[in-house]
Amino acid sequence: MIEPVFFYSALIISVAAFLAILRVLLGPSVPDRVVGVDTLNTLVVAAMVLLGAAYDRTIYIDIAIVYALLSYIGTLIIARYLQGGLE
Amino acid sequence: MGLIVKTSARAIIPLIGIFGTYIVAHGHLTPGGGFQGGATIAGAGVLFLVAFGLNEMRKHYNKHLYSALEGLGGLAFLGAAMLGIGTAFFYNTLWHNGPILNGKPGTLLSAGFLPIMNLAVGLKVFTGLVSALVAIAMYRRWKS
Repeated sequence: MIEPVFFYSALIISVAAFLAILRVLLGPSVPDRVVGVDTLNTLVVAAMVLLGAAYDRTIYIDIAIVYALLSYIGTLIIARYLQGGLE
Repeated sequence: MGLIVKTSARAIIPLIGIFGTYIVAHGHLTPGGGFQGGATIAGAGVLFLVAFGLNEMRKHYNKHLYSALEGLGGLAFLGAAMLGIGTAFFYNTLWHNGPILNGKPGTLLSAGFLPIMNLAVGLKVFTGLVSALVAIAMYRRWKS
C-alpha cells in the first residue's frame, strides 16, 4: 500500500535539499558550505524516513539511523579540521 | 575537542557500537551485513579519535591486538567456508544438516554459516579500518 502523501512530503524535503545544495555551491566561505552540508544531511535523513514510510518498509529506517550517526561524525571531523587540526 | 563534544561522544559511541553490532548480527535478515556493520563500528572508533584526541587513542589502541584480530576474522571466514569441504568449498553444511544455525528462515539462528561469516567480516573490517585510521593519524608531524 503506497501512500501518496509521503511522496509529496518527500518532494517538499527534496526542494529544501536543493536549496541547501545551492548554499553549498554558492557559499562564499568554507563554514557556509559546512553548514549547508550539515543541513543537507538532516534533510536526507528526513527524506529516508519519509520514503521508508512511503514504500511501507520498516527496515529502511535502519539506514536512516546509520546515516544520521555517521553524518554527525563527518561534520565533527570537518569542524575539528577547521579549528586547527588533530594535534 | 570541547566538553560538549566529549560528553556527547561518551553517550554516542556505545550507541554506534551496539547499532553496528546489530547490523552485523542481522546481516542475513535486514539490509547491511559484515562490511556495512564493520564500517559503522569503525565510525565509533573515528569518533573516539576525533573527540578525545590522539594521545587518548594511543593509550587504548594496541597494534598487535588489532592486527591479530584482523587475521582472526579472515581465518574465521575461511574456516566457515571449509566446514562443508567434504562436498564442496563454501558448501553450507550448517544449513543442510548442521547442529546449529538451521532454524526457520527469517529467525536469527538460521541461514547456516552466513552469521558466522558476517561476524568474521565485521571484525575484520572494524579492526582493519581502525588500524588504518590510527596509523594515518599518528603517521608523522607536518614538517618532515
